[in-house]
Amino acid sequence: MTEKELFTVVGIRPEPPAPKKKVKRLKGFPWISGILLALILLCCLFAELLMTKEPGYLDLQNFNVAPNGEFLFGTDTLGRDIFSGIWYGGRISLTIGFLATLISTLIAVVYGSVSGIAPGWLDALMMRFTEIFLSIPGLLMVLFLQAILGQANVLSLSVVIGVTGWASIAKVVRTEVRQIRNSEYVVASKCMGGKFPHILRKHLAPNFIASIMFMVVMNVRGAIGSESTLSFMGMGLPLEIISWGSMLSLSEKALLTDSWWIIIIPGAFLVTLLMCLTNIGNYLRKSANRKESNL
Amino acid sequence: MRRNPFVYYGKKALIFLLSVFLLSVTVFYISRLAPGDPLMSYYGERVEKMSVEEKETARGKLGLNEPIYIQYIRWVENAIKGDFGISFKYKQDVMQVIGSRIGSTLILGGTGFVLTFVGALLLGILCAWYEDRWVDRLLCKGGTLLSCIPEFWLSLVLILVFAVTLHLLPGSGAYDVGYKNNVLNRIEHLILPLVIVVLQHLWYYAYMIRNKLLEEIGADYVLLGKSKGLSKRKIMFRHCLRNVLPSYISLMAISVPHVVGGTYIVETVFSYPGIGALSYESARYHDYNLLMVLCMMTGILVIFCNMIGQIINEKLDPRIKATEVVETSEVTEL
Repeated sequence: MTEKELFTVVGIRPEPPAPKKKVKRLKGFPWISGILLALILLCCLFAELLMTKEPGYLDLQNFNVAPNGEFLFGTDTLGRDIFSGIWYGGRISLTIGFLATLISTLIAVVYGSVSGIAPGWLDALMMRFTEIFLSIPGLLMVLFLQAILGQANVLSLSVVIGVTGWASIAKVVRTEVRQIRNSEYVVASKCMGGKFPHILRKHLAPNFIASIMFMVVMNVRGAIGSESTLSFMGMGLPLEIISWGSMLSLSEKALLTDSWWIIIIPGAFLVTLLMCLTNIGNYLRKSANRKESNL
Repeated sequence: MRRNPFVYYGKKALIFLLSVFLLSVTVFYISRLAPGDPLMSYYGERVEKMSVEEKETARGKLGLNEPIYIQYIRWVENAIKGDFGISFKYKQDVMQVIGSRIGSTLILGGTGFVLTFVGALLLGILCAWYEDRWVDRLLCKGGTLLSCIPEFWLSLVLILVFAVTLHLLPGSGAYDVGYKNNVLNRIEHLILPLVIVVLQHLWYYAYMIRNKLLEEIGADYVLLGKSKGLSKRKIMFRHCLRNVLPSYISLMAISVPHVVGGTYIVETVFSYPGIGALSYESARYHDYNLLMVLCMMTGILVIFCNMIGQIINEKLDPRIKATEVVETSEVTEL
């Protein structure tokens, strides 16, 4: 047997297929939110097919136009078509949401697992650090970092949001790892020379994924919210990079001219998206808890 | 567990000082290592016309040429004497700049905090009382929706509705020109920001109260109370609420920074002249001295409130260990 095969011997026991459970698992799934979310995702993905105008084109003759037949959602103070901008900008908002969450989840998983496996004093130290981290309001930290870093782009914004949002996931990962780190299969894997990355991937991760899934979804929500707040305040994406947040950054001008569509339409999309994510997240939390209580 | 109070508070004070020290070093280094030119905030647009030598002299004058650790030591030395330097942008003593603005933030944050504290308690009790009836369901749905709305957008919508369309309330500033000492005028300006601050946090804590109360209602002593003929109201207020309050109070102590942090964003949207708008500016324009003091103030508030939360928890409910406080707060956050 090769070394790799040896390790898989002590991996998690493959669960017997249970078709009945699958039906049960989707019970209570928020279908409306799911469908809306899928719709928004698809529309943003295939934005080119939907767009009626070039989203970045400054139509100086038609600025501040209320929604009508030509400009479905009106135009903003710079003359850009909002309908096209919504789909095109949604991409950026979603990209930042997912990228930032990816970063924070990676940090959280590694940090939490290390802390869970580490000896007591190191664990205590690392957890104290996360507690301090948690007690600082997240949005303030993002604002502070981004303000200092200056002009943002998609990547830097994702990194800033990502590195400030890992603490609560890390805590859950750590608690889960603490519970299973002395299980036979982990010890056995260690005895056979399994290195940390291997144990993490094969033995720890499958155990905590269910319990962090809901936090990950909430993290996407938080990241998209932070992006829009930052861009709105003029510290996130500049106006040329269209996102829902940067579209909203024109709203102060819009207030002066009473152009409600510039404020309400992108914001409504934002809130809908966040609401869908929240509902799905809550569903995931409930289903993770249900599994636990069944055991 | 009996502790020597001297050792107990001594230890707390030591941790406090250590945290403050670490915080100051971190903020000092991050702000100075980050890209950006502090001269911009001092000289404004003129910087672009300055030659390289002129810039060098200007930096030397502001003490920005030395290695960072020497700058830090000098800052600490002065800070201990109570001298926090001048704000690059306002060319004024940092404390004066902050002093002229802090009142507005304290009023906004303080009132918002008290209203949130009381409102959440009442709402939570209401929801738990009518569990799964329409009141509870409506409030739960509404609360979830509210928690999804970004603070700044809610502010914008309220400004649009109440200030721009209905002309009922002013949408920006802390007072109208010429009405600086008019209390009524100030209150008018306070309403919208206050509503945002409260709405943003209200649900979060109300939900926590509701869930904790529902947990308590399932306990055995409720059954005992019921069987000896106590009314629902008595059980709820005399027994259940009493068990919930300690964790609520300590949670609220920890939440002070979050509520204050919320006011920072509201202030910028409403151009309300407070600390929030100031810290945003100072970070953006690399106004080091001002940024440093504002960060330290916020940081000290965070650390201090956390400690108060822990102490309250340990005093009120010895069963709870200090570390669990944060965990409860985290659960409700999600």
